[in-house]
Amino acid sequence: MSKILITGMGIVSAIGNNVQETLLSLQEKRSGIAALHYLQTSHTEFPVGEVKMSNGEMKKMLDISDNVPTTRTALMGMLAVREALCHSGFDAQLFEKQGVDPFLRVTGKRVALISGTTVGGMDKSEQFYLDFLENDTHNAYISTHDCGACTEMIADYFGIFSQVDTISTACSSAANAILLGAELLKSGRADIVVAGGAECITKFHLNGFNTLMILDKKPCRPFDTTRAGLNLGEGAAYVVMQREDSTQTKSLAVLSGYANTCDAFHQTASSPNGEGAYSAMKSALENANLQPQDIDYINAHGTGTQNNDASEGVAIVRLFGSKIPPVSSTKAFTGHTTSAAGGVEAVISILVLQHDFIPENLNFSEKIAALPFIPYVGAKKISPLRHILSNSFGFGGNDTSLIFSKA
Amino acid sequence: MEELILKLKEEIIEVLNLEDVKPADIDENAPLFGDGLGLDSIDALELIVLMEKSYGIKLKDPAQGKEIFKSIFVMAKYIAENRTK
Amino acid sequence: MSEIYINSIKQISAQKPLTDEWFDAPVRYSENYVRAIDPDFRQYFAPNVARRFGKILKRALVVSQKALEESDVTNPDAIITGTGLGCIENTELFLDKLVREGEELLNPTQFMQSTHNTISSLIAIEAKCHSYNTTYAHKGISFECALQDALLQLQSGGIKTALVGAHDEMTPAYFTLLQKAGFLGQANQTFAGETAVAMMLTNQKTEKSLCKIENVEKFYGNVETWRAASLQVSDIDYIMLGTNGVAETDRIYYENCQKLFPDIPLLQYKNIFGESYTAPAFGVYAAALCLKNGKIPDFLEQRAKLVPPKRESEEQRQNAVRKILCYNQLENKNHTFVCLTSKNLTPKK
Repeated sequence: MSKILITGMGIVSAIGNNVQETLLSLQEKRSGIAALHYLQTSHTEFPVGEVKMSNGEMKKMLDISDNVPTTRTALMGMLAVREALCHSGFDAQLFEKQGVDPFLRVTGKRVALISGTTVGGMDKSEQFYLDFLENDTHNAYISTHDCGACTEMIADYFGIFSQVDTISTACSSAANAILLGAELLKSGRADIVVAGGAECITKFHLNGFNTLMILDKKPCRPFDTTRAGLNLGEGAAYVVMQREDSTQTKSLAVLSGYANTCDAFHQTASSPNGEGAYSAMKSALENANLQPQDIDYINAHGTGTQNNDASEGVAIVRLFGSKIPPVSSTKAFTGHTTSAAGGVEAVISILVLQHDFIPENLNFSEKIAALPFIPYVGAKKISPLRHILSNSFGFGGNDTSLIFSKA
Repeated sequence: MEELILKLKEEIIEVLNLEDVKPADIDENAPLFGDGLGLDSIDALELIVLMEKSYGIKLKDPAQGKEIFKSIFVMAKYIAENRTK
Repeated sequence: MSEIYINSIKQISAQKPLTDEWFDAPVRYSENYVRAIDPDFRQYFAPNVARRFGKILKRALVVSQKALEESDVTNPDAIITGTGLGCIENTELFLDKLVREGEELLNPTQFMQSTHNTISSLIAIEAKCHSYNTTYAHKGISFECALQDALLQLQSGGIKTALVGAHDEMTPAYFTLLQKAGFLGQANQTFAGETAVAMMLTNQKTEKSLCKIENVEKFYGNVETWRAASLQVSDIDYIMLGTNGVAETDRIYYENCQKLFPDIPLLQYKNIFGESYTAPAFGVYAAALCLKNGKIPDFLEQRAKLVPPKRESEEQRQNAVRKILCYNQLENKNHTFVCLTSKNLTPKK
């Protein structure tokens, strides 16, 4: 079976508007978590990981006219997809809107966009909800509400996609998009896949997580015994994927394994023995034909909630025993970017492989008594990294693990 | 206290959508979670909302609920002592 | 590549729930918005279990449970759901309160039950199923996205059984919004409906198998660019169309059919199941039943567009319902094709 190569990537998050800025923030340990600036909400007590751009600024970067109805999620998605496509070396001329699909016309290739999102266009829906019901001033935004609309706005900006899919599995959405991308490539149904996810912070999400009482008023502390919840983040991140036998493009990394399982325990809580997380990691290793000792770093889901970190920690111990590789959560950098998290952390994992460093688990001070390990805090010398496991877990126990390997 | 207990039972039946349950069916001394009414962690969060909405009592930490939501009686007692409305 | 079969389909819709009786006696509607006919849910859940579930969840659980039962599978290798709008009723309840009453005292249950993948995960929790679990939410092709994922994995041998669902509820408020947006409630349009369909796909033919599922193709963009690209289907007996009575929409269907598969008799299903983002699941369901029963009920035929099938012999006439292509399109931008064949049809070498 031909390998699945990552040939491009793009990212927008609280720690940078592109791949290069993201790398610098990670290496220089600069968190993007800060007081609320862009979202209008009464819950100013919660620090968040906002993308440091207004919608207007993003529209300008994308050369989209101010009066075109778009959503923040779609705008972030366009920026990240654009970077990913450019990164993998596609001819910029092909992006020009030609009315027909230039890839198909020029090369006969099938190009798929697979995007994960959950609250899609909710930023506009919550802003114009009463208008939708009571008048006709913002009807254009009714059709930008749903998840699929977000994917199509991104697809239509480029005009090169011959297949689109939208995955909505909450916080594992983007990871599942990457997983589906690999299956599409292997089956020959697509030649080039752009996969990832996008999600902006909304009042809907902030208040929703607040009703579950899992937002921390201080910067989040994954895998710390004093952890008291997550910080909500936002962003978009996509990778370009191709089969090794169908491309000459230099690859950044290999997607060598993946798996999705279901904890099937509770709508919002993870099981105490981390069954779903354990089997996702185990199946991903089997899929990659690797052993636990081959993994050199785990980019954990690590949201900073009591429940997730305890459950994920137990699952890691069950699988790796006494030989646990360095583990860190990068959510103290980016915040929890929900549906985009799997994409954001895929890009981070690939950067880690390219540059042989491990992002520090920020804000850690005290070990969780029940776990035999502490997250990576920078002391250990890093030898070249070969394989990285990246976890993304969502509501309903939707657990996905991806394994990236050195190109 | 009798009156508060009855009101609380009615409120709990409504917010937790306990179809087919009548206030008289609930033993005010039986545990709300686990064996008794069989409530779970999400119900606990709904009860926290109820406490604030009806009685002006704000719980900061869901863990506090463990003690307060032991039974309807314990809950009523806590409300009687701490209510602000 | 192994052959894939649909071994059971269960539905809750504007037709009588959990039965195929509509095939002989459909309920017809003249309203423009029809809620699904629900079964008595008390038969299926203890009240304590279902008290938090909205309509969409109750329906999804019941049709899934029934589809599993009928196919004698207890623990599928995959649970894959398509939903255009997800749990829109709870989303609306939470949003309404947030907007009208402010950002305090909101209900966790409504938020928790607002997420699209609540459906798939709840089915998994009820069936104690730890296997692959995912959800597609892409407007009018959500179901076909789910179906294609299942087919990919079944064909590659990665899984042997998949429970595929199509679920959408329609609230009065959202109906009004989608009417404004031009998707529902237009002049001459079939009624806006609700969808709850669950089907079991497996690589084993059984006595109960309804039909074989040969292929699922999805295309985005201009019809001219992909028509030559990769859609290869031959010997189609009927095309099941998502026409809905809106002249502009139907015209796209007829024109594209004429370009791609000229002179093949056309069928319809939205006249009795209504329009919704996941309505195409009813097209697949109706086609599967036609293949199983070896006949097409009158009300599924598009009289004005019907071309008599070419029948050369008595034997062919007997077997005239062998292959049905389900074609669904949205705004002439998304196009999906699901090819179903009679379960006993052997592919040409």
